[in-house]
Amino acid sequence: MKLKLFSIIFFLSINFCFAANQIVDENKIYKNLRCLVCQGQSVADSNSDFAQTLKMVVKDLIGQEKTEEEIYHFLSEKYGDWILYKPKFNLENFFLWFFPYFVLITGGFIIVFLIKKRSKKV
Amino acid sequence: MLSNIGNLLLFLNIFFSCLIINYSFNCLKISDNIIFKKIFQIGLLQCTAILICFFTLVSAFLVSDFSLITVYQNSHSLKPIFYKISGTWGNHEGSLLLWVIILTFFSFLFLIFNKKHPKDFRLYTLIIQNFLILGFLFFIIFNSNPFSKIDPIPNEGLGLNPILQDPALAIHPPLLYVGFVGSSIYFSAAMASLITNYSNKFFAISIKSWVLISWAFQTLGILIGSIWAYYELGWGGFWFWDPVENASLLPWFAMTALMHSLLVLEKRNLLYFWTIILCLLTFILSVTGTFLVRSGILNSVHTFANDPSRGIFILIFLSLMILTSIYFLFKKYKPINAEINSNSRETFILINNWFMMFYLLTVLLGTLYPIFTDVLTNYKISVGPPFYNAVIIPIVIIFLIFMAIGPQTKWIKNKFSNLKLSFFILCGAIFLNFVIINLFRSYSIISNLVIISSLFLIMSSFFDIFKKPLINFPRIISHISFGFLIFFIGLNHNFSEEKDFNLKLGETIQIDNYNFVFQDLELFQQVNYKAVVGKISVSDTKTKEKRMLNPEIRIYDNPQTLTYEASIQTNFFRDYYLTMSNIDRSEYYNIKFQKKPLMIWIWISVIMLSFGGLLSLFRNAKHN
Repeated sequence: MKLKLFSIIFFLSINFCFAANQIVDENKIYKNLRCLVCQGQSVADSNSDFAQTLKMVVKDLIGQEKTEEEIYHFLSEKYGDWILYKPKFNLENFFLWFFPYFVLITGGFIIVFLIKKRSKKV
Repeated sequence: MLSNIGNLLLFLNIFFSCLIINYSFNCLKISDNIIFKKIFQIGLLQCTAILICFFTLVSAFLVSDFSLITVYQNSHSLKPIFYKISGTWGNHEGSLLLWVIILTFFSFLFLIFNKKHPKDFRLYTLIIQNFLILGFLFFIIFNSNPFSKIDPIPNEGLGLNPILQDPALAIHPPLLYVGFVGSSIYFSAAMASLITNYSNKFFAISIKSWVLISWAFQTLGILIGSIWAYYELGWGGFWFWDPVENASLLPWFAMTALMHSLLVLEKRNLLYFWTIILCLLTFILSVTGTFLVRSGILNSVHTFANDPSRGIFILIFLSLMILTSIYFLFKKYKPINAEINSNSRETFILINNWFMMFYLLTVLLGTLYPIFTDVLTNYKISVGPPFYNAVIIPIVIIFLIFMAIGPQTKWIKNKFSNLKLSFFILCGAIFLNFVIINLFRSYSIISNLVIISSLFLIMSSFFDIFKKPLINFPRIISHISFGFLIFFIGLNHNFSEEKDFNLKLGETIQIDNYNFVFQDLELFQQVNYKAVVGKISVSDTKTKEKRMLNPEIRIYDNPQTLTYEASIQTNFFRDYYLTMSNIDRSEYYNIKFQKKPLMIWIWISVIMLSFGGLLSLFRNAKHN
């Protein structure tokens, strides 16, 4: 069993060595920005003037060697958090980020508890 | 004239429903096991009446009878016949009529196909279903009547939104409605089961086929919606985690959980209350979805015309449903003690339900959270694809692994049948992933894990085909397809390429290994729109492949709208996807080109997934 586990971890880590390093990707940033003049479209998908302008702003900021986080910070200062499709992790959004994992963990406990109580005693 | 016939038929339907409820209560008082013949007859009349009512509306659309507000607002005399017909259910009022048709037909079919089950269970199901029908009929008549008249009669209609004039969108709503309105019948059956204490495995058998039908159709409906979004919206994506898409996905999660827990109830007489909760939840979520979409609370690409009074009606209906459900659940709840072993089939089905609840609650929370922050603290946020991807994708990896090893267990027993094989399969999956990243291009660690776990699921399910005896072929098909779905989505996501540039007529541009030539621009006059069609040739200097793509800009007359039609070239390896849009005050056009590998396989996987459900339905029908 230990050998099997070890060999799986070994093979997996070989795969991970080849994993791509993430660089600042402008398309990824565009996809995280809401086009404020459209109906539920991201900047990446939109043809509007607003989206075109925002793309230029983002390119410019990348040119200034700003990180992804800095770019989001800059834009949300200016337009509000409404522009970000991935909500910030802050006090207001704590429940949004926390609750799914709470469900996952509680669900896991319920199943373990249920089986402990109900399984055949050896 | 058509308005009067329609209204008359609506009232007739209310009358029939009341009659059925009345006779059913009378019939319950008699202690034999025979249901009055007249209940069947009225049921048949009811189906006929609602069908004629619907065709009355269809014919109003066909002859462009603009004395009806609905027809005036959603049709135009010059629209092609096909879209005149599909326009019937392409709007709020007409689609509600389709709701009632499905409610009525499922009610009647459930009655005639469940002869082996006790009388009181069948009759209570019928009664509750007819209360649902009445609720929707009242909603139609008093709030959203498709037969409302307009005076003076306008000469011409306003036309149907051009992006809805599409074959996929003509069949998308009916498929989806069979899915989530179909779930009403097991809502009613679950209530009836609580009332009549019909709680054994025969209850599971009575609703199994209906769960499978609604699940298969819901899956197909979601698929058609995605395909439509892919080619019509022109963004190259097929799932945007848009609130309306989420609304169709929520009941799907509940149905999928139900479909699995039903097996435990059928085989082991366990999880009765949990199964009932899922039955009730599925339909409640369907109505919740409708509420969110129709009331206009959500900001979405799919905007129905908003009207707050609609929202209030559905909200009252919804609260009534939830309160009655909770009341009966508490009244009838009693704990059941039975044995569940940790490595048994039951446990793994519970694990499936556990993950489904996680997906369901995550998507529900993500959809509703922005409304709450806005109302409570006036803080506006967006919850979009990056949120769902970040929360859901890592969990999908674990889910796929459970999904692969779960079927290797047996009912009751506490043991895996073939753990050694699973180990070798996992090694094989890791090796295949290694081959893929070395042949093509590497991707992030999380993508590595997604691809490996999906391959693990595909191969594990594949080996099940050779097991003797072949236990559950439909299950294998659906599980393999789900594995392929995640596998192809993963590859598609990682290997997609996108080029965005501006080009004018006659110009040539070389970007990386692609060469684009803007060869020609033509103007066409169609029946209901003008089209500007570009001719852009794309050649891949690496593979020497050359293709001509013809994106369109369409100018619709009624109503006046501009739409951008993507040009898509599909084959088994990749899609070329190109859109063109004009730039104001310039002779340049903005061109977006995407290469989307293995796109068609994503669609095929979902079709196969749904096919597994249908196969299971036929098998189930043959057994019972």
